[in-house]
Amino acid sequence: MATKQEHAALTDEKLVRLAQRGDMRAFEELVARHRDKIYARAFSMVRNEDDAVDLSQEAWVKAWQRLKQFQGESSFVTWMTRIVINLCLDHLRKVKRHRAESIELMEEESGGVERQMPVVQVNPTEGLERGEIRQRIDKAMGQLSYEHRTVLILHEFEQLEYKEIAKRMQCSIGTVMSRLFYARRRMANLLASFKREELS
Amino acid sequence: MKAELELKLQAYLDGELSAGDAREVDASLAHDPEAQQLLAELRTTVGVLRDNEPLMPLPESRDFYWSKIERAIESAQPERVQPLLAFWYSLRRILVPVAGVALVLFLGIASLKVNTVSDPLAHLAEVESLSEHVSSFSFRSQSQNMFVVWLHENADEQAATDSDDDFDDAVLQ
Repeated sequence: MATKQEHAALTDEKLVRLAQRGDMRAFEELVARHRDKIYARAFSMVRNEDDAVDLSQEAWVKAWQRLKQFQGESSFVTWMTRIVINLCLDHLRKVKRHRAESIELMEEESGGVERQMPVVQVNPTEGLERGEIRQRIDKAMGQLSYEHRTVLILHEFEQLEYKEIAKRMQCSIGTVMSRLFYARRRMANLLASFKREELS
Repeated sequence: MKAELELKLQAYLDGELSAGDAREVDASLAHDPEAQQLLAELRTTVGVLRDNEPLMPLPESRDFYWSKIERAIESAQPERVQPLLAFWYSLRRILVPVAGVALVLFLGIASLKVNTVSDPLAHLAEVESLSEHVSSFSFRSQSQNMFVVWLHENADEQAATDSDDDFDDAVLQ
C-alpha cells in the first residue's frame, strides 16, 4: 500500500481513481489537500465555525459515498465545492424557517434601498494590503443577509450563471438579479464606510 | 435611473444579455453619465471581490478532522455479511411468503376434498353402544343435509346370551 508521502506526490485525478477503488488513504490525501477551501466555502455561507466544520465533514462523507459518480467533467475540488454548497443551502433553509425576519432583511427584500445608496466612485480598497482587503470583505459579508451573501458567493466566487444560481436557491432569475445588485451595492458602500472610519 | 435599466447594466457587465440587448445598453451608456458611474462601481466591486476572496483556515488539526470523517464513513457503510449468509437471507425473504401462500392453498384444497368425498362411510360419525342390548350408529349426510341416528336392538345377542346361561346351568347341574 502507498505511503502518505507517495500519495502526496500524486495528482488529484490519480488520487480520485485510487479512492474510487476503495483506497481510503488516497481519499485522506484529497481531504488534507482541499479541506481549507471546502471549510472556507462552508464558513462564508453559514458564518458559524462549528456549523461550517460539521457541514464540511458531511460533504466529505457524501463525496466518498458518491465518488463512483464523479466522472471528471469538472475538477475534483469544483465537484466537492458543489456538494458543500448544496449542504449549506439546505442548512440555511432549515435555519431560516426558525429565524425571525429582521427589519433590515425586510428592507433588503422589499428592494429600493440600494437605489438610495450613493455611487462609490473611488476604489475603497485602493492602497490596502491584500490581507487587509480580505479582512474587510469578510467583515462586510458578515453584514449581509444570508440570501444576499449566498448570491454574491455563488456568482463572484463560484462563477455560476444567473440561471444556475436561481436553480440552487430555488428562486426566479429576476430575484437573483435583484439580490445580486443589492449585494454588490451594499458591499461597495460598506467597504467605502470602512475606509472612511479608518481615515477619520 | 429606472430599476430595469440598473439590472440591465448589471446583466451587461455579467455577460448575461443577448447580443441585441447588449448593443442597446452600449448605445445608452454613451449618453448617460449616471449609468457610466454605476457600471464603474459595479465593475470595481466585482474585481475587488474576485481577487480577494477571504481565506479561512480550518480550525482543526489534519488528523482530528480526518478521524471524524473516517468514523462517519465507516459507520455509514452497511455491515458486510458473508456471501452464503447473504444468499440465505435473500432466499428466506422469498421462501416465507411463498410457504405461506402454499399453506393456504393446501388447506383450501384439503377442505374442498373433505366436502366432496362420495364414500358414504366417510359420513359415519359415531358408533356407540348405549347398552349391551342396544347399539346405535349415527351419520351425517351432506347431500341430504340431515343427521341420521340408527338404533339397533341386540336381540340375537340376547338370545345367544340366554341360551349360554341355560347351557351353563345345564352343565353345572
